[in-house]
Amino acid sequence: MKKSVIVLTSMLLLSMLALSACGSSGSGNSGNNGGNAAAGKDNGSEQQTAGGSSQEPVTIRFATWDTGQSLQFEQEVAKQFEQKHPNIKVQVEPYGDGFDQKMSAGFGAGDPPDVMYMYNFPTYKESLEPLDSYIEKDADLNIDDFYPGLLNYDRIDGVTYGLPVGFTTRVVYYNKKLFDEAGVAYPQDGWTWDDLKQMAVKLTDKSKKQYGIGMRASVDVYGLQGTVWSNGGSYVSDDGKQIDGYMNGKETVEALETQSNAIKDGYGVLVGGKNQQSGDDIFKAGKIAMWETGLWPLQGFKDANMDFGTVVTPAFGDKPLKGVINESAISIAKDSKHKEEAWEFLKFFVSPESIKIRTADLPVRSSTAKEMNLSEDPLYKPFYTMLDRSTNIPAFLLNPKWDQIDSNLATAVEAIMLGNDAQDAMDQAVKDSEKYLNH
Amino acid sequence: MKGLLHEWLRRRLQTPYRSLRFKLMTFFLLVAIIPLLSLGVLSYRSSSSLTHNQFGKYGQYAVTQVQNQVDAQLNQMKITAESIYSYLLDPTKSVITEEVPRTYRQIQEKNDFEDFLKALKSDDYTRIYVITQSGYYYGDNDLYMSMLEQESWWKDFSSSHTDEYWIGMHPAIYYKEGSKNAGEDVIGLILPIRNQQGPLENARILIEMKADKIYNLFHLLERDTNAHVALRGNSNQSIYKTNDHFIPHADDVIWTSLLKTNDWTIEARLSYQQFYRSTAVIRSYTVIGLAGAMLLAMLLAYWLSSRLTGRIKHLKNLMLKAGTGQLEARFTIDSDDELGVLGRSFNNMLEQIQSLFDEVARTEKLKKEAELRAMHYQINPHLLFNTLNSIQWKARLQGNEEIRQMLYHLTVVLEGNLDLSQELVTVEQELKRIDHFLSIQRIRFGEVFDYERDIDERAIHCLIPRMSLQPLFENIFFHGFEDGAGRIVLRLKAENDYLQMILEDDGRGIDEARLRTLLQAETPKTTRGGLGLYNVDQKFKLHFGPGFGLRIESTKGKGTTITFVWPRREETEDGRAN
Repeated sequence: MKKSVIVLTSMLLLSMLALSACGSSGSGNSGNNGGNAAAGKDNGSEQQTAGGSSQEPVTIRFATWDTGQSLQFEQEVAKQFEQKHPNIKVQVEPYGDGFDQKMSAGFGAGDPPDVMYMYNFPTYKESLEPLDSYIEKDADLNIDDFYPGLLNYDRIDGVTYGLPVGFTTRVVYYNKKLFDEAGVAYPQDGWTWDDLKQMAVKLTDKSKKQYGIGMRASVDVYGLQGTVWSNGGSYVSDDGKQIDGYMNGKETVEALETQSNAIKDGYGVLVGGKNQQSGDDIFKAGKIAMWETGLWPLQGFKDANMDFGTVVTPAFGDKPLKGVINESAISIAKDSKHKEEAWEFLKFFVSPESIKIRTADLPVRSSTAKEMNLSEDPLYKPFYTMLDRSTNIPAFLLNPKWDQIDSNLATAVEAIMLGNDAQDAMDQAVKDSEKYLNH
Repeated sequence: MKGLLHEWLRRRLQTPYRSLRFKLMTFFLLVAIIPLLSLGVLSYRSSSSLTHNQFGKYGQYAVTQVQNQVDAQLNQMKITAESIYSYLLDPTKSVITEEVPRTYRQIQEKNDFEDFLKALKSDDYTRIYVITQSGYYYGDNDLYMSMLEQESWWKDFSSSHTDEYWIGMHPAIYYKEGSKNAGEDVIGLILPIRNQQGPLENARILIEMKADKIYNLFHLLERDTNAHVALRGNSNQSIYKTNDHFIPHADDVIWTSLLKTNDWTIEARLSYQQFYRSTAVIRSYTVIGLAGAMLLAMLLAYWLSSRLTGRIKHLKNLMLKAGTGQLEARFTIDSDDELGVLGRSFNNMLEQIQSLFDEVARTEKLKKEAELRAMHYQINPHLLFNTLNSIQWKARLQGNEEIRQMLYHLTVVLEGNLDLSQELVTVEQELKRIDHFLSIQRIRFGEVFDYERDIDERAIHCLIPRMSLQPLFENIFFHGFEDGAGRIVLRLKAENDYLQMILEDDGRGIDEARLRTLLQAETPKTTRGGLGLYNVDQKFKLHFGPGFGLRIESTKGKGTTITFVWPRREETEDGRAN
């Protein structure tokens, strides 16, 4: 009896032991986790001692306005960068439409992302790290490989605040099928607005609601700059301080009139207004023969199996053709606490291997463009030709208040497109904008 | 066959009730199961009711939470719409002077107004439009009015509604393709503009917000509660419902919450089974736990009872074995508990029984030997007596009276000797036989010896082992006397319980060494005399127990005295010893 009691007790003890074993296995796990964590820390400290100074993992924040596919590309680049630099983590922050708002807030609070997409250098230059010393020191970057026209857009008063990551210039897309049907020869480099008018008239068939060229209802004033420059005009004086006589100058008004004349004379049509399809869609639908825009819809036209070509924009008679660039650049915040790491990331972002996998716009390095054979491809070549001719500085880089002036300019151009007198409209815009200029 | 099986079953089922193990097991099981069961039932009941209560509250809480969040979003839309409305109503501003702008100023007005609308947009508002009666609109340049006008709700609103109109979730197919959120699901509010003259007369404010947040809220609610979620408008039309094959029943558990902004109803329905599923889970866990505990209790009870009863059974089997005579069986003592003590006592008892058995067997063996010896001496009495009678007749015919006399006495003595039917005879018979024996001796030796008798009359009818005196007398004549000359005294005293007989002679006596070994069986019997004394001694011992027998005193040359005592028994009427 005693023995059985002992056995019973021992069994109970055993079962309790089993239970506590379960418990302890749990705690053992947690202990292991703790151990792992500790081991991780140990590794860290080992690396620290081995690597010397600042090998503690650093997280840099990277802000972008991109969404969708372009964002995926950026995340891919960040991932590749992290693999090459195990001690630097990149936190991609897609700000999307709220980019400007969030950037202003970040800079204002002194807590901006370390690296960010940038185009509006005049507005943010105070908050951006000048990169010239980095560029000079770091031979890896090979600054000469970048198209010099692109770098112009990243400089204010000779100081470089960013590096280009991608760009597009503006060209004229033309529907080969419509040209062939109308028996019109394709446009070529060196063509003029008069050539365009002649072609467009032939290509217009109002019974088919088919027009020679599409004109924007609400105008991209920035994109129109190339046309203005080509006619020898400009929105603003070279020092950025004068608009009177420039914005409403003869050459500028003339350039704008060539646009509105297309509507007035009936060989062009307004697209993209209220309740209207976008010009891209109408061009794709074969209802306009020519369409002036950047690289953006090119892939879509290809996907739609369109037979189309690209050509540089028309010139005004003998005057030299000028282009304007839409460029994405990348910059470092002045307030960044990890500028070295930020520079490493920036450098990687504009390295040939990163640029090669970027598809949304065109390669900014001549070596990459050559390697990808883009500068010789008939569809892409005009973009690089336009890049060569984009030597003028856009107005917004010359005057930090340009945003306000721009909206008045847009109003005036919209009025011109609706048939108002060009000179009157521009005069009014100048009048309304004078107050924004710092005299 | 069937009968056999039935019989077997019956026995199987019956026998356990008799076994101690079964009783013990039942007892242990009851002790374990009753508290377990009551505990299980109690905890199941309280936990399930608690869970129901909590889950019921949680469900309602979750629905209310969703309602609050949806309300917050809708309310924001409403506030935005109202702020646009009040901006337009401000009499000090002339916001829009021409419906479709033509001039620089008009375009500026339009742009300013669109900027104002843009500024009101938070991330959540996909679109804010002010749509005029003719179909011109202000806001992002990405709306196809012609497609919007195809929407049933737009027609519905245009024809009947005069007040704010909420549009349930619907795909925004009237956004220009390629523009943001085109084709995605949105939720909308239309607010008609009244009291307005000019271009904005009877215009409408359309605010649309991406529906994904509301969908997320509903999906979360669906996931959290497993409920079928439905959103119903104020005319009970379905705006949203969970995409499953749910068939509503009357006994469904329903949580509802009314949206404050627009009187829509959020309803979460859970089938009765779903709602009580947690209970089922608790129940099955309780049952599993109980079953496990019972199994454990059963095993423990079985183990404990078999440990206990196994030993008892072992002891029982040993007893049965011992009962059949296998006395070498022994209980293995493995503990000092009560069973151990019992086992030890049992072992002791067996040992005692065995030694007793051995003793009995030994006595039996002696008896057998004596009987064999008796057989050995036995001659066919008829032959002997016939022969003796013949000799006696011969002696009478020849006139040899002396021989005849001797033969007569011998015959009587022999009769006594050979009568094996009675082991105990009366003292009287025995004494008569001695008289005959002495007569023979007298004829043989002549009147050379004295025989004195002192017999208590009360002892005459008492019993004495047959042929117990004659060997003693014989001994006197053959070893004590020289040529039959001497004196013999026989005394018999009768006490209450015992008789005492003293036989004295004045013969040669017995030397001391011989006297010591005389009554011991192991002594080699070289002389007949020795054997006679031993036999008599054994007779008394056999009949009355080892405490009885002869006591011999002898002095060399002076004579021998033999004393013996035996229990007093009288012959009963039927001839048996009493």
